[in-house]
Amino acid sequence: MFVHLLLAGSLAVSGAPLARTAAAPGQPCSAPYLIDERLPNGARWRLCWEMRTIEGLTVGRVAYTPPGHQQVGVLRSGALAQIHVPYDSGEPRYHDIGSLGSAAVALTEADCPGGERRGQYTCVLTRARGHAFLKDGFGDPAERRSAQGRELVVLSAYQVGWYTYIAEWIFGDDGSITPRVGATGSLAGTTTAPKHGWPIGVGRKHFEESHSHNIFWRMDFDIGGKARDVVEQYDFSGNRTKKRSMIRTTLTRETKALNWPMRWWRVVDPRVRNADGHAVSWEINNSGSAEYRGPSDEAFTHSDVYVTQYRACERLATMNPSPRCRTSVDAYAGKERVKDPVLWVNVGFHHVARDEDADPMPVHWQGFRVTPRDVTARNPAASAGPSAPPQ
Amino acid sequence: MRRSWVLAGATLSAAVVAGTAMFLSGGEPQASQVQRQPPPAPGDPLSQDEVRRATEVATASSRAHMASGRIELLYVEREDDKAQDDRRAEAYLYDYADDALIVRTVDLAEGKVVEESKGRGVQPPPSKREELRAAELLLAHPKLGKGVRAEYKKASGRQLRTAADLQLRGLIFRDAGACRTHRCVRLFVRLPDGRFLDTSRIVIDLSAKKVQTLEW
Ligand SMILES: [Cu+2]
Repeated sequence: MFVHLLLAGSLAVSGAPLARTAAAPGQPCSAPYLIDERLPNGARWRLCWEMRTIEGLTVGRVAYTPPGHQQVGVLRSGALAQIHVPYDSGEPRYHDIGSLGSAAVALTEADCPGGERRGQYTCVLTRARGHAFLKDGFGDPAERRSAQGRELVVLSAYQVGWYTYIAEWIFGDDGSITPRVGATGSLAGTTTAPKHGWPIGVGRKHFEESHSHNIFWRMDFDIGGKARDVVEQYDFSGNRTKKRSMIRTTLTRETKALNWPMRWWRVVDPRVRNADGHAVSWEINNSGSAEYRGPSDEAFTHSDVYVTQYRACERLATMNPSPRCRTSVDAYAGKERVKDPVLWVNVGFHHVARDEDADPMPVHWQGFRVTPRDVTARNPAASAGPSAPPQ
Repeated sequence: MRRSWVLAGATLSAAVVAGTAMFLSGGEPQASQVQRQPPPAPGDPLSQDEVRRATEVATASSRAHMASGRIELLYVEREDDKAQDDRRAEAYLYDYADDALIVRTVDLAEGKVVEESKGRGVQPPPSKREELRAAELLLAHPKLGKGVRAEYKKASGRQLRTAADLQLRGLIFRDAGACRTHRCVRLFVRLPDGRFLDTSRIVIDLSAKKVQTLEW
């Protein structure tokens, strides 16, 4: 009885477990926590999801099977790691995680079009993603190649104050992963000086305060298992010159990395090879960030991508709730040798309100792309899919 | 920026936000209806039974302190440590007398606490119960409580009965003053007409049971 009372008062509502069916042999999780989707072009994604009290929707044990290929493990886990919202006048400065698990919004059928709701708070669906490829046949219809792509989406939404955040994990039939968050709901409604805001409503009386949404994701890559994964940074030298030369930097130690024109990173397992003998990797590109840099007591905003050695208790980018670990990602990224990398991606969006943001505010999205690089020896979708020509 | 801890001059007005979103309550209906469940797979969240057992084990040594209100169970999470093959749960408890977070790791097969860590200055998000307690402290504040009641009356035409009438969301605040070591919460308070109270300057110190107003 005592325990029962405790649970009633403290447990996150949306964290309440759902009815399970036994996991099939070899599957890492049971229904309804298993997502196993074969997209029309033959690409298959298998993963487990969990609604955690603090991080909310978490994807785990993510594996990709390119059409006609063997399955390869990609992520051990992926989750939101913070939503930092500093206002332009300097205050307030919110850390919106938060107990996302208990802030989850119950989703309706309309919120999950054509998909399947897993419990009340998570939606699994597939949708069109536009052209997968298009190549003219130069008059020969048999040579013409065109296909429409699809993607698997796992999403949840959270109500944090006046904001609603929609968190999506998008798994493309091209092997890409796109984590993104859409902010909607309502503006804060706080008035500020003209230099910190934008006039909304009639005339120039209400200056809605501008602010940033600095969103952090934590991704624990385990390409074909946790061993041997290496992170590399790619740069291309040449400024106001005709030539560009590639510079590869292997990040053997923990790193605080900055965005830079043309810069990208990849996580590679040199022992997992495609049919061409090239090492399998996933590439991370974070070029869409507003690159907010806060004061010295917000050093976690000072880099765009952090590479750290895996530690189970390092889960949030700020306000990390573990006495065994440091409290923010800039402190995790010390000098340790990286044997099992975790990537933290910080994507900022500077929100200057506009009249269109009147209630309910249109969604503004932010996120980044994780794309396969040499996972297959060629375009695995080229000979598959309903719109591909007969062979 | 200037930040000080003054109570005087605090104003409380409702921000002009016609929020359409709702804070939701109510459990997953499926959960309680299910009697027999197959054993969880490694990647499954904690089952109801596992949460119950982990809570029992993790709180066994703290019952007296919990009954007196000194220690609060915040939540129980699945331990997601890939080095561990066993099913493990982490119970988060907060010790208000010590202002310290206690995390107890429970091995579910063994049915015992296998690891305990305790630290100060570490603040996990507030539990539902703490959000409610923060709102009660706000309502008990002579000036601010009156303001909240007046805004509630204006929004609903009814008298506010208890803190539970308000739609609450709490975030930890630890940027200044006593809140660097205490457990402090900033509340979002949604009124029945969809407006939010302007609570951005109000911080509720759960450790000291005090309401503070930030100045900037
Ligand atoms: Cu915004």
